[in-house]
Amino acid sequence: MGQLNEQFDALVRALSPELYRYAMGMCHNPDTANDLVQETFLRAWRSQHTLRDVKTARAWLYTILRNEHARLYERQRPDVRDPAHLPAVPVRGYDASSEAFALRRALKSLERQYREPLLLQIIGGFSCREIGEMLDLKPNTVLTRLFRARKALRAMLEDSEPARVGELT
Amino acid sequence: MNCLDFRRLLLQDPFRNDADLLEHEAQCAQCATFAREQRAQETRLRAMLGEITPPPELAENIRLAVKLDRRGRSRRRVWYATAASVLLIVGATMLSLVTETWERGNMALAQSVLNHIDDEAHHLREAGPVAGQRVKFVFARFGARLNGDIGQVNFAAECLMRKRNGVHLVLPGVQGPVTAFFMPGEHTERVLPVSSERFAGHVVPTAWGSIAVVGEHGEPLEGLAQKLAGAVEWPAPDSGLVGGISTAPLIAQQ
Repeated sequence: MGQLNEQFDALVRALSPELYRYAMGMCHNPDTANDLVQETFLRAWRSQHTLRDVKTARAWLYTILRNEHARLYERQRPDVRDPAHLPAVPVRGYDASSEAFALRRALKSLERQYREPLLLQIIGGFSCREIGEMLDLKPNTVLTRLFRARKALRAMLEDSEPARVGELT
Repeated sequence: MNCLDFRRLLLQDPFRNDADLLEHEAQCAQCATFAREQRAQETRLRAMLGEITPPPELAENIRLAVKLDRRGRSRRRVWYATAASVLLIVGATMLSLVTETWERGNMALAQSVLNHIDDEAHHLREAGPVAGQRVKFVFARFGARLNGDIGQVNFAAECLMRKRNGVHLVLPGVQGPVTAFFMPGEHTERVLPVSSERFAGHVVPTAWGSIAVVGEHGEPLEGLAQKLAGAVEWPAPDSGLVGGISTAPLIAQQ
């Protein structure tokens, strides 16, 4: 393996777990998440020559996965599991508590524009500026969406009526 | 900082620890409760998402997918190269066949000219000049018009050359009679030599077909085909008349 291939292999080892979690957060389906991550790395491999700085590889991979997920939705409606049910295949670390099911269901209920920045912040640990770059949004817009996402989640989990997002804005 | 600002900032990031945020939390009991609840929810959310572990074979599957993709691409490259080679060979063979066929066609045309002269050698002995009207009439059967002077013509008739009809003329030459064939539809890309023990000449390409001029060996034929071509105006190739003849009855030949 050449140096670049070793770097790529290192990226697979280091980033495939969190990309899988990100994919699971978006589709709630272990099989689809698996496919998404594999396809993400495959696309990254094919266009690795476009990666100028290895330091940006992480954000790059998240973006590829996000695009791949969007593409999947364009082609077909993937089998998105009802987060209130256990996944068809066992998932290690899958919290089967009723609290976790409620959280998953609330997360799934979020509009994509709110769920995406939230997942990127929680799973990826990206800053508002980085999320803004990935989603092509201004940092202030990202902050607003994060605020609305958590407010809506909180409202749903309190078993209240749907959150009146923007109440505090 | 007021309560509204505090909650907005907290919902943007529950674990931020700005000094003014912490200060407000210490001073406002309601916001402190709100913060505790929000941090607890955030912890559950992060745990729920963060504790998911990918299947152990995921990384290996990715490596395998990349390897297969590389092999596939490599195979595709080999396939493309093979396909290109096959196409090249097929192309070269086709070109060779076309060229060979073309050459055979050229040889066949030149030979047909000679055969026709031999078969109708008696026309070479025609001595008397043919009336200009007759010559014009023969050309007119093909939709062609004789505009220029082509000199004395001893024989003029419509004749079959290979599969197409044309105009057969015999002109007096220096060494002996000269045969000229106007062959509409008989295309050739270059000047073809025509040669036998007795005769020599050439076939000259024109826009509508070709003209053959053949005489005895030593007969000065240079420029004759061009002169003949310039004297006769043929219909445009797409007029439907080239290579065909009119249905008007042909009066007695010669």
